[in-house]
Amino acid sequence: MLLSINWLKEFVPFKGTVQELDDALTMLGLEVEEVIRPFDGIKPMVVGRVVECEKHPEAEKLSVCKVDVGEEEPLNIVCGAPNVRKGLTVAVVKVGSCMPDGMKIKKTKLRGIPSHGMICSERELGLSDEHDGIMELADDLTPGANLVESLKLDEIVLDISITPNRADSLSVLGIAREVALAFDLPLTIPEFVLTESGDDCSDEVAIEIADHEKCFCYHGRILEGAKIGKSPDWMRYRLVAVGLRPISNIVDVTNYIMMEFGQPLHAFDLDLIEGGKIVVDVASEGEKFTTLDEQERVLKANDLMIKDGRKSVALAGVMGGANSEIHDGSTRVFLESAVFQPASVRRTARRLGLSSDASFRFERGVDQLNCPQAMDRAAAMLAELTGASVRKGVCKSEPKPWHAPELQFRPQRCRDLLGVNVEDSFCKTTLEKLGCTISSSDSKNWVVVPPSNRLDYEREVDLIEEVARVYGMDRIEPVLPQVKRTLETRDEARNEYEFWSLIKRWGCGLGLNEAINYSFVGHADLDQFNLPKGNRITIMNPLSSEQDAMRTELAPGLLQNLRHNLGHGNTGLRLFELAHIFEADETSDTTVRESGRLNILFYGDRYDSAYPRMSADAEYADIKGCVEHLLAHLHVGTATFTLAEEHAWMSPAVNVVVGDQKIGTIGRIQPEIADAYNAKKDVWFADLDTDVLAALYAARCVKFQNLPVYQSAWNDITVIAPVTLNVQAIFDQVAATKLPLLEKMELIDVFEPEAAEGAEPERNLTFRLTFRHSSKTLKDKDVDKERKKVVKSLESALPVRI
Amino acid sequence: MSLIHELESLVQELNSGLDQAFSLNEVEDLRVAFLGRKGKLAQIMQRLPELSPEERPEVGKTANIVKNKLTSLLDECKTKLESAAEAEKLAKFDPTMPGRMPWQGSLHPVTMVMTEICDIFKGLGYDIVTGPEVENDFYNFEALNLPPEHPARDMQDTLYVTDKVLLRTHTSPMQARTMLKQDPPLAIIAPGKVYRRDSDLTHTPMFHQIEGLLVDEKVSLAELRGTLTAFLQQVFGPETKVRFRPSFFPFTEPSVEVDISCCMCGGEGEVDCQPCRVCKQTGWVEILGCGMVDPEVFKKVGYDPEKYTGFAFGLGVERIAMLKYGIGDLRMFFENDVRFLNQFI
Repeated sequence: MLLSINWLKEFVPFKGTVQELDDALTMLGLEVEEVIRPFDGIKPMVVGRVVECEKHPEAEKLSVCKVDVGEEEPLNIVCGAPNVRKGLTVAVVKVGSCMPDGMKIKKTKLRGIPSHGMICSERELGLSDEHDGIMELADDLTPGANLVESLKLDEIVLDISITPNRADSLSVLGIAREVALAFDLPLTIPEFVLTESGDDCSDEVAIEIADHEKCFCYHGRILEGAKIGKSPDWMRYRLVAVGLRPISNIVDVTNYIMMEFGQPLHAFDLDLIEGGKIVVDVASEGEKFTTLDEQERVLKANDLMIKDGRKSVALAGVMGGANSEIHDGSTRVFLESAVFQPASVRRTARRLGLSSDASFRFERGVDQLNCPQAMDRAAAMLAELTGASVRKGVCKSEPKPWHAPELQFRPQRCRDLLGVNVEDSFCKTTLEKLGCTISSSDSKNWVVVPPSNRLDYEREVDLIEEVARVYGMDRIEPVLPQVKRTLETRDEARNEYEFWSLIKRWGCGLGLNEAINYSFVGHADLDQFNLPKGNRITIMNPLSSEQDAMRTELAPGLLQNLRHNLGHGNTGLRLFELAHIFEADETSDTTVRESGRLNILFYGDRYDSAYPRMSADAEYADIKGCVEHLLAHLHVGTATFTLAEEHAWMSPAVNVVVGDQKIGTIGRIQPEIADAYNAKKDVWFADLDTDVLAALYAARCVKFQNLPVYQSAWNDITVIAPVTLNVQAIFDQVAATKLPLLEKMELIDVFEPEAAEGAEPERNLTFRLTFRHSSKTLKDKDVDKERKKVVKSLESALPVRI
Repeated sequence: MSLIHELESLVQELNSGLDQAFSLNEVEDLRVAFLGRKGKLAQIMQRLPELSPEERPEVGKTANIVKNKLTSLLDECKTKLESAAEAEKLAKFDPTMPGRMPWQGSLHPVTMVMTEICDIFKGLGYDIVTGPEVENDFYNFEALNLPPEHPARDMQDTLYVTDKVLLRTHTSPMQARTMLKQDPPLAIIAPGKVYRRDSDLTHTPMFHQIEGLLVDEKVSLAELRGTLTAFLQQVFGPETKVRFRPSFFPFTEPSVEVDISCCMCGGEGEVDCQPCRVCKQTGWVEILGCGMVDPEVFKKVGYDPEKYTGFAFGLGVERIAMLKYGIGDLRMFFENDVRFLNQFI
């Protein structure tokens, strides 16, 4: 809401500074977002009077003028406007001053004649679109005086953010009420005299309201003999200052009164209203209607319309129709002032994407008791500005008259809720100042009747808020409450926030960078990863096609991060992200299943700095080791890693299983997918299910084991195996041999000799076997005996040599 | 030459040998050559039987003296060489060579701020709860006193999945979900991702919020102010001033917008005689919205609004991170540029 301070002062004698007003309104909940000085650009302009005006000897369209600007000598100015003439009072920019667009005026010569300034049109001054000639000022202005001051322009405008509950403040009058309250000033509503003439016309246009729920009241006045033209300057400039475009005297008056009283008005050309009646009724489904912005709208059966005897003439409360709007030849005016159901107006305006100043106010609610008064002030103003006569009587229907609610107010409840010891008398004064009437037969339980302009007073708590607001929210002293707790146990392991925090700290501690990506991606991104389409959640109204699906995997986001970082010269990346993925699930109350995922990405340089480490690229062992580290950290047991049959976007893809639970997949992003993200090297990836991990973590069991007393002995064994044999097979075979003394078996070296031609390639795998007896130190011969068992077992069960 | 003389000449001989010895290995070789089992001293002593029994004690005594002498010469030389080697090692030591640093990881600044805030409230006795990001209209709007066609729905532009299912626009649905499950007293903090259909310099379509709710008998606005003052001073420093001004949220009444004194200019409105760009010279920055839980919300979840009162607050995590760390561009949060991430170790 743009509020001119000059306009405000017509309603309340505020004498303070802008800053004081700004602070007071903001602290009352009407937040001043910006102080605008709409005419700052024309501050340097002065009033001038053309004292001589002759034709330019060299140019037919130019005039050479001498302009009195209050200085000793008049200025010589060459002007190209057709309306420049001797005696005219004009707006002048002197040499050295700037135009609103920043252009500096310099001494110049036009066709040989020097020009020391410029005479401006309204458009050049930003006052209107008028550019047919220079602006003609009133003759009583003093040459040399400042233009902005002489025109009494609205120099200071506050941009105030009005919250949806404060419909009452969407007008100069409404804000003036708050200012009067804040500074304890009287409120003065400008007086006007409405002179009615002619026969009573209240039957000439019959008002029929079909749906009483959607239109609470409808008033109309008839004006005759109006002469359409420009509004006077003061009105046009004021509308410009508060962001409205002047159109014609009739339309401008309706806008002016709307800004002043908060009551949207509409003026119809009465000659275009057929059948002598106004019908407020819903549209027919699919009806086409052209609004006055020349747009054809397709309507639905619950859109509320204003109709005449034959056709629709306006979208009720939203916008008038082209078929009945005021035009240059209009003389008879039907002025509408009505109150429509907020929800109905909002539904129509929102569906049509057509938020007007009128609909904005109707949606929030207007003061029904103020409705006729606003109409009368507008009628009086129209009579004055258009020369129209106002016919006697009002065409009206009010199926739902304003009925003030009776609200309970308990001063003690107010004190309890605020935690402030406000006295009864303060509550009373405050509510009364806000327009409420109080019948407090019971001193502890008052009955409060709110004023018609405060539709937001619906319950006791709304009144308590007002007491706090006027008392000053900022005067409330802080008190720290006691937080009561129950004995209900909190299972931290099952709490997703806590479990994710644990993993995040692990990831950061291990040396990974935590990433956070949007939860939505494009369907195209998911397609890139060959992901199924059936389980996806599509966003109905996405901002772009790159954000039209909820992600069913985290991988696309992390790959985008990879591309971004590679683009900025990064050569090694270790990212992790913890987030939900989203899949359609009919059994869920939201139709969506959200599951927790931990994804890890390794790419390129294994280490951040080359020296003193050998530079190398991340490989499978890095991602696998990382996952093993996590499982160890969580105490959930060791995992088995088996090649997955197939995977949509990883190859190789390896299933990670703990016990009988699959916790995820690790592997390499398929090269053609990685390539799409500019990855030239292998991208190693882990995709883990944190819901499964959390369940395992909740069931974890950490138990101490006594330290061994006797020394262990070790023995190395080199197994020559075909390269196609998984190392795990050897481990498994040894484990199957069930040697009680074997404490540990580790792979310590791998060597792949060049295979002879035609021979199957082999590799030499060296394992270290550690043996220990719980009650004695092992001797060499004991160890040899055990080793022989291992050799025998391996050679008999696997295609290997020792 | 007598054996005694031969013995005594070993000292001189070792001395000249040691003069040529420049490494510990050479010293060791000399030790073996002189004092070893088959060394020079041993060889001389093998000839002891050649002597008469009367001469033997004298020779034996000399041999002992010489052996001690040789040993000390060798030890002395060894010590000298060892300290020279240590001195050389120290001279070559370069403390400025790069360290073998383990991987350096980082937490996202959103996680850092979220953790800090959640930890403060955990310390005050609040429980942390989480809930779905895709929500029903009921929990996101209706249960929070935002019926369809309510103009306040304009305050949050919503991304929809269907007419009735949407991406939650705030973490407030957790209020309703928790209250429907649990009876008062309750004190919860709900952190999480939220979504709005908005994207420009100061808005991203996804961001993070933290919702707080306390419900009990006789909870007051003064207690809300106390809670938030304690929290904000812990996050932004004990000098931080907290300002309450009236606002509107459909799910709270009274509703309050909370400002803190600008952490960039300290509330002065100016930094180095330049207008402060963070608070736009007002000295205050908006930090969160809050209020007393609206009785309608209690009715929707079956709490008695006469018996219970409560307060709720919601704050934007990115906004706090931006103020706290001086991050100027919101979009950086979701690019995951490691040059950005590595600054939050």
